[in-house]
Amino acid sequence: MTITSDGPAVSPHNTPRGPAPKSRGFFSLVLEALVTQRIVLLGVLIVLVLIIMSVLDGMGMLSGAFNADYLAAALINLVPLAMLGLAQLLVILSGLGGIDLSVGSMVSLTGVIFGFAYGIWGWEFFPALMLAILAGAACGAINGSLVSYVGFPPLIATLATYYAFRSIALVISNQKPVNSIEIQNFYSAAQAIELPLIGGSLPLVPLGIFTFLIPCVIVVWLLLNKTGFGQRVYALGTNNVAAIWSGINVKTNRMAVYVLSGVISGLVAVVTVAQFASARPDAGTSGNGMALPSITIAVLGGVAIMGGIGRVSGIVLATLLIVWVNAGILLAFPGNDGTQFQLLALGLVLILASLLNGLTKRKYGGI
Amino acid sequence: MSPALTPPATEPSAPARPDQPVLRLEMRGIVKSFGGVRAIRHADIAVSPGSVHALVGENGAGKSTLIKIIAGAERADSGSIEFDGKPVSIASTSDAIELGVQTVYQEPQLFPELSVAENVFVGRELKRGLRVDWSGQADQMHELLATVGLPDRIATSLVGTLSIAQQQQVSIAKALAGEASVLILDEPSAILTDSEIDVLFAVIRRLSSSGVAIIYISHRLDELFRIADEVTVMRDGETITTKPIGELTVRQIAELMVGGVLTEARSTEDVAAGDTVLELDALSREPRFVDISLKVHAGEIVGLYGLVGSGAGTIADVIYGMDKPTDGRILVRGKPVTISKPGQAKKLGIHLLPANRSAQGSFSFQSIAFNITIGELALLSKLPGWVTKRREREIARDFIKRLAVKTPSEKQPLTAMSGGNAQKVVLARQLVKRPAILVLVEPTQGVDVGAKEEIHRIISGLANEGTAVLVVTSDLGEVLRISDKILVIRAGRIAAEFGEDATQVEILAAAAGDAGESGGTA
Amino acid sequence: MTIDQRSAPAAAQRATARRILPPPVTGQEIVLVGVIAVLWILLGLFTPAFLSPSSIQPLLVSVAPVALIGVGMTFIIITAGIDVSVAGAIMLCAVITAKSLVDSNLPLLPAVGLSIAVGLALGMLNGVLTAYGRVHAIIITFGTANVFQFLALRVFGSSTVNGIPSTFDVFGRGEAGRTLGIPHSFAITVLVVAAGWWYLRHTAGGRHLFAIGGNANAARLAGIKVQPRVMMAYGLTGALVGLASCFFIASGTSTLDQAVGSGQELAVIAATVIGGTSILGGRGSVIGTLLGAVLVQTVTSGVTQLGWPTQLANLFVGIFIIVAVGTDLLRERARRKA
Repeated sequence: MTITSDGPAVSPHNTPRGPAPKSRGFFSLVLEALVTQRIVLLGVLIVLVLIIMSVLDGMGMLSGAFNADYLAAALINLVPLAMLGLAQLLVILSGLGGIDLSVGSMVSLTGVIFGFAYGIWGWEFFPALMLAILAGAACGAINGSLVSYVGFPPLIATLATYYAFRSIALVISNQKPVNSIEIQNFYSAAQAIELPLIGGSLPLVPLGIFTFLIPCVIVVWLLLNKTGFGQRVYALGTNNVAAIWSGINVKTNRMAVYVLSGVISGLVAVVTVAQFASARPDAGTSGNGMALPSITIAVLGGVAIMGGIGRVSGIVLATLLIVWVNAGILLAFPGNDGTQFQLLALGLVLILASLLNGLTKRKYGGI
Repeated sequence: MSPALTPPATEPSAPARPDQPVLRLEMRGIVKSFGGVRAIRHADIAVSPGSVHALVGENGAGKSTLIKIIAGAERADSGSIEFDGKPVSIASTSDAIELGVQTVYQEPQLFPELSVAENVFVGRELKRGLRVDWSGQADQMHELLATVGLPDRIATSLVGTLSIAQQQQVSIAKALAGEASVLILDEPSAILTDSEIDVLFAVIRRLSSSGVAIIYISHRLDELFRIADEVTVMRDGETITTKPIGELTVRQIAELMVGGVLTEARSTEDVAAGDTVLELDALSREPRFVDISLKVHAGEIVGLYGLVGSGAGTIADVIYGMDKPTDGRILVRGKPVTISKPGQAKKLGIHLLPANRSAQGSFSFQSIAFNITIGELALLSKLPGWVTKRREREIARDFIKRLAVKTPSEKQPLTAMSGGNAQKVVLARQLVKRPAILVLVEPTQGVDVGAKEEIHRIISGLANEGTAVLVVTSDLGEVLRISDKILVIRAGRIAAEFGEDATQVEILAAAAGDAGESGGTA
Repeated sequence: MTIDQRSAPAAAQRATARRILPPPVTGQEIVLVGVIAVLWILLGLFTPAFLSPSSIQPLLVSVAPVALIGVGMTFIIITAGIDVSVAGAIMLCAVITAKSLVDSNLPLLPAVGLSIAVGLALGMLNGVLTAYGRVHAIIITFGTANVFQFLALRVFGSSTVNGIPSTFDVFGRGEAGRTLGIPHSFAITVLVVAAGWWYLRHTAGGRHLFAIGGNANAARLAGIKVQPRVMMAYGLTGALVGLASCFFIASGTSTLDQAVGSGQELAVIAATVIGGTSILGGRGSVIGTLLGAVLVQTVTSGVTQLGWPTQLANLFVGIFIIVAVGTDLLRERARRKA
């Protein structure tokens, strides 16, 4: 049986994001790229920040020099922030309201455990590192099983463990930083180094970038883009039910995402111990904690809070933007004012980014 | 002539109604675009009070947009709307509700955590001072439930605990609580069993005789002859014609919808049946179904015909490991197997196309390539656990070609596609690795006529290549057209078995059985 | 079509009306009352001082702000939203109010009014952004939390607010804050909870919040003005934050430091969730929230009185959240299987 019909019926509600008609102006194309390609927007914003700060520097309005050395030194803050941003990326991508409020508490708790092992019990570095990773994985597994197997909304599960891990960290450390000569010497792991070969002409870059951040970025990128696991994470974030019907083991995969978030938190804990030269039991929870900034990074990086959309490059660029904006603010508003204006910047950026995400979804059907 | 397109002989067309002097609703020259895409080029429709006006058209013809405009959910770009002879403007859902336009959507728009009574009155609660007038509502509930054929005691049940059919009846009660003058029913029968449809039609007749103008949208053309007075056909965003139902046949309506001529149906090619690949031995999942035994051979298409709620769908769930049997065995190539999750089913070569495409099949904003390959990630690279984009692209392009998916690129998101094309993509996912056993549940639900035909051809082709196919469907035309063998499921049991020479009447009689009695009295 | 109103016999009518009335409690409340009773008895046995007025009164005073904000949070969570900007909002309301007490020595009512007005404005900002921005509430309120905190710190300058007059002592822990032994702040809280309970159960507006949380799209189609209603829930929370800020000012000495409000957003959410309100929306109870707040405070106070490390209280809070939500989940699962 054959049918003569007038061609495919195209649903009018879902305009395809196909190639744009040629008649469209340059500016509308640029605008669409800025709004729909988060990477482009972040790149433009980073360049803008650099230009504005350089101009201010040139006019002598900053309290210090905004130069390559300063920018490179600021990267020390990039390491924990970007890594936890990656943790949130994994968790939020997996959908069903995925979010991890407990990352800060996990950093505190695994940091204390690492501090004990490395500083007090006299373990070698690598066994202590492995212990921190394992402890993080165990914490993440608690979150993961609550979410995945018992069916807790992630917000609630990780709110509960936020309280619990934070409490345990403070109780086992007797509310005092874990400290010893070994830990103080461990500060060297956080120092800035000169790059080999070409390093002479470049500013000193914090060691943690190479030892922790870059490997972590590469591993998460490979996981999400080059492995079946990554495809499954995107699948279950896009449509959990369809993932089940496709034969994907959604429970194990979702569990794995939370475990990974714990593992990354464990690594961040080690980085933080090095930075502070002590294992503080409130390292990840003091002030606003680490959860809020990491979620901000994820949203700014274009991760859709409903799951299924988000990329590693977005996280890295978003962190870079935040870190350099913060560094710039510290020069423009010295002292206490600086930290306060950082709060304002973080808040405004988050609100604008999320409103933009909403607009993107409405107008262009995706990010 | 294809059996699906024969008007059923059992139901006479609705009697002609006396002329109505004033039209309840008249829309002229309606135009609506979405971001440059013309959803409606030109639509005219006129509905009289006390009549049932059917609106039909293929997916994407503009029906849903048109009713959204009536219901105030969308605003027309141009055109006029008159209500009882007076021009009106409908800018929001509340404007429409004020005019008495009530809509019952295909998916019941209800609140599972609230009681039936609250659902019915939500948004227009009766008030006594500041408070909700619970006793006033209780009084009206009694009447409303009687009108839609639900028992009184259901008023306090949580909607989440009701069956789909009951939820739809609640939706209608909800629409009636708002003093409906125009009632829009968007494919109400799509998810109902035949006996439930009888109840629905009785309710519709009762309402139309009390003067409500009813706009009825359906894909099941045969049922229009039981319920509609007039038919408006839409095609490519235009209203093609409006005629009294008595002047049309199913075939004529179908031809108007597709804008061409339907040629003769073909029958399945006969293939020498091979070995038994799938066997169910006294399989039960109480209370959904009991004692189901059947065999599917290589190269054979077995049709499992059952109305929604008959238990046929649950049989597919159990075969695919989405539900657990309470008794009996499943045998694959003669060996008893336990299947407790879809992953195990797939290892045994059992693939399944789920019934509800958007909920169970689509990864909507992911690319077509993603959607095709996500079920068989192991094929995307030689390294275990690894995937390569190149391989993903190759597989996707291959299937886009083989299944004639209409798309400019495999990178398009699934959201950008029409129902039929999206269904082909989800079907392709089941074929990436050649299935030994393919279970298809409602493979062409919500798919336009052209794509339906193509999907049937694909299924036949698969069987010709040796796949054992089990089609679970509530579409009588479909089961007749593609099956080598038909099993009719009624109330969880095999009610009858037919070969290729089955007739529509025999199958329908077997499926409806004594269930027809309870429906007929409503 | 019209439905003719038939007059049923009055008694039968009342019976039917009762049948379609939503139940007064949703299930978790009774369990919570039991758990709290058991805890109080156990704590009374181990530390006899626990059941004395001098121990219970401060406990109720510290319950008050959490439960008060919890009423608003319950409204918000019923609509399937959330507000994590509460801590920042408390900080801003408290510092503005405290400063105006110090600088212009405002009398009680204008000061309370000012605090509520500031809170309402902040809540409405959240409400507008959430309702009209089509962005998930958690993200928006994370953002506004930072902005509120920034503004509060600017008002603080770089120090604490000192020399606050005793205007708010009627909300405090002292003798002035009690009538017949009942702390005023707690009494106000109970009244607000009662009003919230009545609103949610008996008015169309209250029922609409449940409808919105259950299925926002269906609510819109049913003609409910979803956005204004959602906005109202955030506005209410803001106003209650304003009132609660007065309690926070009163609970300290004459000094307000920058840590005011810190961590309260999670404490309020914890109380709400322990009280049986579903984070997914459509279900919840303000009475449960009050009980949740009492439970959390009982544990905090109990841990201190038992001489355990104070920080251990948070572990119990975490465990309570898991147990409360977990039993609810298992109950739901059992119901679905049946």
